[in-house]
Amino acid sequence: MLEGILQGLSTAASPVNLLMVAAGCFVGTFIGMLPGLGPISAIALMIPITYGFDPATGLILMAGVYYGAIFGGSTSSILINAPGVAGTVATAFDGYPMARQGMAGKALAIAAYSSFSGGTIAAVFLLIAAPSLAAVSLAFQSTDYFALMVLGLTAVAAFAGKGNVIKALLMTALGLMLSTVGTDKGVGVPRFTFGSQSLIDGISFLLLAMATFALSEALMSILRPKTDADRKKEMEAQKRLGSMKIDKSEVKEMAPVIGRSSVLGFFVGVLPGAGATIASFLAYGMEQRIAGPKKGAEFGKGSIRGLSAPETANNAAASGSFVPLLTLGIPGSGTTAIMLGALLSYGIQPGPRLFQDNPEVFWSVIISMYIGNVILLILNLPLIPYIARVLAIPSNILLPLIVFFSLIGVYFVSFNTFDIHLMVLFAIAAVVLRLLDFPMAPMLLGFILGGMMEENLRRALMINNDSWSFLWERDLTLSILIIAAVVLFVPMIGPRITAALNRRRESAGEGG
Amino acid sequence: MLTRDRIGALLMLAFSLFYWLQIDEIRVLPFQANAAFTARTIPEILAIMGVVLSLVLLLKPGSNEKMQVTGFLWGKAALICIAMVAYGLTVRPAGFLISTSLFLMFGFWVLGERRPVIILAASVPLVVLFWLLMTQVLDVYIAALPAFLEG
Repeated sequence: MLEGILQGLSTAASPVNLLMVAAGCFVGTFIGMLPGLGPISAIALMIPITYGFDPATGLILMAGVYYGAIFGGSTSSILINAPGVAGTVATAFDGYPMARQGMAGKALAIAAYSSFSGGTIAAVFLLIAAPSLAAVSLAFQSTDYFALMVLGLTAVAAFAGKGNVIKALLMTALGLMLSTVGTDKGVGVPRFTFGSQSLIDGISFLLLAMATFALSEALMSILRPKTDADRKKEMEAQKRLGSMKIDKSEVKEMAPVIGRSSVLGFFVGVLPGAGATIASFLAYGMEQRIAGPKKGAEFGKGSIRGLSAPETANNAAASGSFVPLLTLGIPGSGTTAIMLGALLSYGIQPGPRLFQDNPEVFWSVIISMYIGNVILLILNLPLIPYIARVLAIPSNILLPLIVFFSLIGVYFVSFNTFDIHLMVLFAIAAVVLRLLDFPMAPMLLGFILGGMMEENLRRALMINNDSWSFLWERDLTLSILIIAAVVLFVPMIGPRITAALNRRRESAGEGG
Repeated sequence: MLTRDRIGALLMLAFSLFYWLQIDEIRVLPFQANAAFTARTIPEILAIMGVVLSLVLLLKPGSNEKMQVTGFLWGKAALICIAMVAYGLTVRPAGFLISTSLFLMFGFWVLGERRPVIILAASVPLVVLFWLLMTQVLDVYIAALPAFLEG
């Protein structure tokens, strides 16, 4: 393991890779700050550039973009109360009130230190957890992988749908359906290609990600433009940042919050589907309760704890979500799903074999996450006043540029103009689905896992002489499937059970 | 009542049924006739899943909110979509520099920018710079001009 860490360290610390992680953090912060564009769009926009790099360098760049985008999202949450992503919504609860009190600089510094600490602590956990899980998962067979993918999909669907499980499941099914377009990998027959040569290789995941995230988010911004009041707010926010210094008493107040939120964030991040959003809300709620009535009442009005907790947790969860990706090859969130897509296009299959076959990739990604956190702190924080000027770019210039970069990013990979037209079609469909309040992340996850799921199911059936009995005969497979069922059905029937219990309690109270 | 969820459910139902109908077009090879897993297996499972879930959402929508269609700038979004389609059609025959510059200029104009200096300054230099970066630094060949001008 030590050898692997050193190998990863030497790869990640090479001048080129250091430059990449720095560039990634910077570009990620820039993109993440644009309201509406989150880490998924940021990574999608960067993928075409990384195709020319070796896998480790490409992944290092994307890890930097990921962290940068989360940090950028926090910045726009604090400065203009416009979270770029769901993961930084809780940041705005206390960050924005602080900014309104003239302490935007301090709020940004607290966010940066909390993110750094959360990311650092989680990176240490990742260092320990990932190899152990990779070792255990070597015993997994295709039947278990199939079950794990079912678990990943149900968990994401159950968590991503803001309580609306059916919509999230429908989007997962849609993603799975789209993944079946193209030549079948088993016997080589074309499926859903409608006779088009351009669809023979299937739909590129980059095209789908770019169309349903970057492009559709740009179209949504065109549909719902900002008001003059919003613009004014943005201009003012980037002018008055105030001091970025944090005093001793504030550090003392933040430290235990950071410790608790890091642990919580990491473990929530490891769970498939939970991710940064849930981690940040859980940490916020937990700290509010721990703070007691006096300090708890400050939450929502500019509390340091209220800002530090979600910021620490969302970064820790971002690191945690790499555990299932790197060790099992199963992404736990939309963002890690797009990372998986990128890995596959490099010809790397994440999972326990990655740990053995490409240790330099495995370890350099983990090490570069840590370096990314350091860079965010020492490079991005002082640059924030300058990066924040991106908020001053008028949207009538910015939006066509985002549209252009999305289109050209996909076109430069395939050089097929059919892809541009397909992107427009998908982007329009995504806008309609967004207006109907359908979540996009489960669709992307379904799309990326679809091919692997089919492959594992096919293999499992082949090994079992065409019998489906492996679903209930192999203990591990059955256990994972039962967990998937629990994860899926508890959010659906949980509220009903609670309501029924409350009714019973009320009637018992009336009776007694 | 046609709520937002019900409209979504109907769209998904239509898509799932269309997907289901297309499954017949997938060839099953003779040796697979009795196999438990063919190229149709997963699509069949997914089609059933799509139809069932759409029906559940149709019958038991999560919310009774109506779909909001007013207050959006549909015209501008439609023009940008048309511009994207046109860009796809012209990027090869007209060359990268001309088609991209025109696409960006049109985009800025549609979104309300009327100052010619800004429109030109934000498009042409950026497109040229981007083309130089791709062709000279990253070694990606892109035809800059229409074929008849490239010689």
